[in-house]
Amino acid sequence: MSVGLNAEKQGTGQKAWEPKILVFACNWCTYAGADLAGLSRLQYPPNIRILRVPCSGRVNPQFVIRAFQKGLDGVLVAGCHPGDCHYSTGNYFTRRRYLLTKRLLEYMGIDPQRFQVRWISGSEGPKFQQVVTQLVEEIKAMGPNRKMRDPE
Amino acid sequence: MKEITQKMRDTARELLSSGQVALVLGWEKGYPWYKSAPTFIDKVEDVERLVFDEFCHNNLSKYLLDLAAVDGKVALFVKGCDSRGVNRLIQDNQVKREQLYIIGIPCPGLKDPDDAAGKNWGDEINGAVKCQDCRFPNPVVYDLLLGEKVPAVERGRETRELIERLEKMKPDERYEFWAGQFNRCIRCYACRNICPACNCRECVFDRAVPEWLGKANNLVENQFMQLTRAIHVAGRCIECGECERACPVNIPLMALNRKIINDIEELFGEEPAGLDPEKKTPLGRFELDDPEKFM
Ligand code: SF4
Ligand code: SF4
Ligand code: SF4
Repeated sequence: MSVGLNAEKQGTGQKAWEPKILVFACNWCTYAGADLAGLSRLQYPPNIRILRVPCSGRVNPQFVIRAFQKGLDGVLVAGCHPGDCHYSTGNYFTRRRYLLTKRLLEYMGIDPQRFQVRWISGSEGPKFQQVVTQLVEEIKAMGPNRKMRDPE
Repeated sequence: MKEITQKMRDTARELLSSGQVALVLGWEKGYPWYKSAPTFIDKVEDVERLVFDEFCHNNLSKYLLDLAAVDGKVALFVKGCDSRGVNRLIQDNQVKREQLYIIGIPCPGLKDPDDAAGKNWGDEINGAVKCQDCRFPNPVVYDLLLGEKVPAVERGRETRELIERLEKMKPDERYEFWAGQFNRCIRCYACRNICPACNCRECVFDRAVPEWLGKANNLVENQFMQLTRAIHVAGRCIECGECERACPVNIPLMALNRKIINDIEELFGEEPAGLDPEKKTPLGRFELDDPEKFM
């Protein structure tokens, strides 16, 4: 996706802080949804990096922790709606895993907005746009993440 | 407890002399007096070493992982929590039920060895934190039960109160609390080594390639390690409290484990780990109508 590159280009001259957000997108639904958003020329802030995974169930909670460690300000895990998983059941495991992990991260003191999980199908280009826009706005309002982050 | 000790010795003697088992796992009196260490008995003349007292903390089920090479059956003594550890290992396919002879001891609740340090035998000693709100003092699986079943009694709420206190805090305060705890972690991995839910042959923490966990002992790596451990035992932790007891710097690990157990029970209505060895673990299964709060 080209959104990653845009972020750097648009930072023209001024060094204002811009949030970096990682989106784990399932190949079959959310990635297609993001593609549709692009094809439909739907605008969304260029702060996200999309990482394509075969299934939302592929996302190990360690990936999320590592993302915060390496300086991401927010993480979104997104996959197919229940019932639509390409592998039939992957996202049902995702759902249990991240219901729990989200609570655990919050218990550790991570702000709830910084880690989110959504179902976005291949036909939901507008939902992708809306979720990402809202996520970026929320995180912009909160400022950079300093928690669980490698010292710079 | 003298009575239980006597029964332990008699049972072990019989099992070994009849050749029913090749090895007996139990506890023996250690040093100082408030430690009772795990012991491995394979000769009839050694059964007199066996004891049961209020300092038999170790969950012996963990040692079963090292005993695959033993020819013949292994007998082990289990308290309530330990028995759930045995079920855990059976559930994870690490041991076979047929290889074991399980001798259950209804558990009266143990004493806190840290509080006993500096005191004398017979002095008033606080109960062990892990036993304060034990839900299953009676073994849930056994071939033989020594003594009468005991009721589950709440002796304190230290861990639960800490969790409640943390849940009421703002995210930043909670972060400070846990950062303060994890900053002290010396990464000795005692919490992992003693845990019957941590039974991978090769632990991700020990691997150099890929290096998931850096070797540096700093807050960020410690947090990574602690969260990985907590998530790994999610749905598999049997609440034996051994990790917290083994931690040399007293990190309240049970406030983490127990919180996850609470969440699992609340979200999925799952029963506690280690009761049914046939059932898949909560994160290894799902229901079509699981809650969907945030998606
Ligand atoms: S947790 Fe329960 S079964 Fe285990 S030692 Fe304490 S009282 Fe006994
Ligand atoms: S995480 Fe702690 S309490 Fe849970 S099974 Fe492991 S050692 Fe026992
Ligand atoms: S036992 Fe305590 S100090 Fe050792 S690795 Fe575990 S939490 Fe850290």
